[in-house]
Amino acid sequence: MSTSSVYPTPINTFKQSKRSVLSVIVDNEPGILARIVGLFSGRGYNIEALNVTVVDIKNNLSRITIETLGEEKVIEQIIAQLEKLVPVHSATNLANLKESYEAEICLVKIEFENDDQDHKILSFADIYRTRTVQKRQNLVVYEISGTSERINKFLDDLNTISGIKVEKVRSGPIGLGI
Amino acid sequence: MSNDQELTGAEIVLEALKDQEVDTIFGYPGGAVLPIYDALFGQNFLKHVLVRQEGGAVHAAEGYARSSGKVGVLLVTSGPGVTNVVTGLTDALMDSIPLVCFSGQVPSHLIGTDAFQECDTTGITRPCTKHNYLVKDVNKLPEIIHEAFEIARSGRPGPVLIDIPKDVQFAKSVYKKKSEVTFKSHRIKSGSKNIDRDFIENLINHIKKSHKPIFYVGGGCLNSGPSASHELMKLVQLTNIPITTTLHGLGCYPAEDKNSLGMLGMHGTYEANLSMNQCDLMVNIGARFDDRVTGRLDAFSPDSIKFHFDIDKSSINKNVKVDYHTNTDITISLKAINEYIESNQVEFDTNQYSTWWSQINEWRDKNCLHYEQIDETIKPQHAISRLYELTNQKDTFVTTEVGQHQMWAAQYYKFAKPNRWITSGGLGTMGFGMPAAIGAQMANPDALVIDIAGEASFLMNIQEIATAVQYKLPIKIFILNNEYMGMVRQWQELLHGSRYSESYVDALPDFKKLAESFNAVGVRAKKLSELDDAINEMVSVDRPVIADIWVDKKENCFPMIPSGAAHSEMLLSKYDKENPENQEKGKVLV
Ligand SMILES: Cc1ncc(C[n+]2csc(CCOP(=O)(O)OP(=O)(O)O)c2C)c(N)n1
Ligand SMILES: [Mg+2]
Repeated sequence: MSTSSVYPTPINTFKQSKRSVLSVIVDNEPGILARIVGLFSGRGYNIEALNVTVVDIKNNLSRITIETLGEEKVIEQIIAQLEKLVPVHSATNLANLKESYEAEICLVKIEFENDDQDHKILSFADIYRTRTVQKRQNLVVYEISGTSERINKFLDDLNTISGIKVEKVRSGPIGLGI
Repeated sequence: MSNDQELTGAEIVLEALKDQEVDTIFGYPGGAVLPIYDALFGQNFLKHVLVRQEGGAVHAAEGYARSSGKVGVLLVTSGPGVTNVVTGLTDALMDSIPLVCFSGQVPSHLIGTDAFQECDTTGITRPCTKHNYLVKDVNKLPEIIHEAFEIARSGRPGPVLIDIPKDVQFAKSVYKKKSEVTFKSHRIKSGSKNIDRDFIENLINHIKKSHKPIFYVGGGCLNSGPSASHELMKLVQLTNIPITTTLHGLGCYPAEDKNSLGMLGMHGTYEANLSMNQCDLMVNIGARFDDRVTGRLDAFSPDSIKFHFDIDKSSINKNVKVDYHTNTDITISLKAINEYIESNQVEFDTNQYSTWWSQINEWRDKNCLHYEQIDETIKPQHAISRLYELTNQKDTFVTTEVGQHQMWAAQYYKFAKPNRWITSGGLGTMGFGMPAAIGAQMANPDALVIDIAGEASFLMNIQEIATAVQYKLPIKIFILNNEYMGMVRQWQELLHGSRYSESYVDALPDFKKLAESFNAVGVRAKKLSELDDAINEMVSVDRPVIADIWVDKKENCFPMIPSGAAHSEMLLSKYDKENPENQEKGKVLV
């Protein structure tokens, strides 16, 4: 992952740090996000990406998806700590499910100067089947979704084009068990 | 109270407290809680104890809760009132003590404006409470209060805070009774109530196979209630397995019983720590593998099969990986185990552990708690031993401050029953003991309540002596006065080349005169020949007493497993030298 946490990340001492995506169902009430990020910062865990949205208006539930790094023991401990929080219904490591799907969305604004660059950009956009959100002279905005890895690859490829300016925003991964 | 009658928020607070059968509240008034104080005025179901600083209220509530098994309740004002309780809330969270703290807040429309005595109470207390609330709507107040009590006492107990803006205290709504509130199970986290068959069968099989088993019992056993101790006693007697307890587990099993190895951990007994180190089966009942207990983790009981009873799932495999665990309440589990043994007529071979017991008895023969009371200078260990001998016939509760005196109290005061020993373990809060004694005495008016104190710790909450005097609480403050922050001095001696940087407690007050100035009673023992008289006088006076016991200033607390050392690397006396390599490693630890 190239993005880093909004929280200061402690020096990574984890032995076999593994990327995990945790899906947390919570009561949508004031302070819940603060409880969760406070738990991570207070106990020295990493937040690589975070996503929060209400998913059930009737029952007032939100789903929080957290991408974190840590060895397996630490991930287990994070889940146990999350489940202790009063408004938390459940916390699941998607990797522990038999079947789960992940997606992330990313908006990329690319400023370029010449046709050669435009051409290269277009070909990557084509390969990755991005959606064009906006196109003007010397500027294009794409929307790309899929796994975080897929987005990483697209961004890496763009990086090989010299002289262009890339600005991006990513939602962080979301995921669902089936 | 008829159901459709409207009450103010402040009246709802009182109504809910009555409904929750709260009889005592510790507090201190201020602008943002005046409506609640107004509602308190003239009522008589609830005793309000006016402390002298809010920090005293929270420790008193802790002492009340620990000694009674009930939820401790306190009431403080906004801003400085609530920041003063942060230490105590953290203390209660670490030691799993059920509290409900009510705090006043500036009126809703002023929140966020840096109003007078405004602070972000829920923000500040979020990491030091089990849960907290900012009440924005008076209609939700009854439910919030009842939920708060339920959360505080369920599962692994802990402190809960309810922040109530002043306008909400004035606003009106209909009260909702406790019996009318349905709790959402995901919010209460009460732990499993189901009997874990497999766990029980595995445990019994392992007990039958084991040659070197041990029970390692902690505060969770206490929190599960007195019946847990009762079941534990049965199980120990049925199996003849040795048992050691943590600092908080003291009293869960009678210390003087033949199966008791005493306390384990940094200042635990030789026999307890070596048994833990060499056992082949460890049965952890409500303890959390704290670093003060395990010492160096990679050397902690390397060859044992480990069973862990803990209602808190996050305690399982946190520090030490275990082989079997259950999250069922300890009383339920132990009862089921004993019933299983009975109904299946499980027989334990009483000779099976005889080699183990003779090994343990060899360790016991080291007599690790031996000390020499040589001349007229009172040895602190001797002072506690005498205190125990002269008070153990009475119904006695002991609280402590933090330091050497606390460890000597744990080592030399022998508890026979649960809930009699009230100390700050996880946080190690100096200043805890005296207010905690006030709380314990409120809950147990006829009992003898003693705060075993250090002079430095006592000074941290000394103002509370006035509280004890005002409410005629005959608590006894038994100061082991060594003129040092003794525990700091000990570490400086052992780890920092005897450079006693800032650990001498200079300019001490005359504690006897100090007592008198508060209208309490002061007694003093300067030498051995005065000790028993001082203790007897202290116990017999029906008023708060400060006993200033002058003890040996240079005495250290042994045995000691230095931080970062293994159980097998215990220092038994000042003649034992620490392995220099460990000393360097240990220095960076706490
Ligand atoms: C509030 C607080 N500050 C600092 C410490 C660190 N500390 C632990 S023990 C101790 C010395 C306690 O001295 P005293 O109360 O005289 O007890 P003694 O060790 O002499 O018996 C100190 C400063 C602490 N535990 N709590
Ligand atoms: Mg001292």
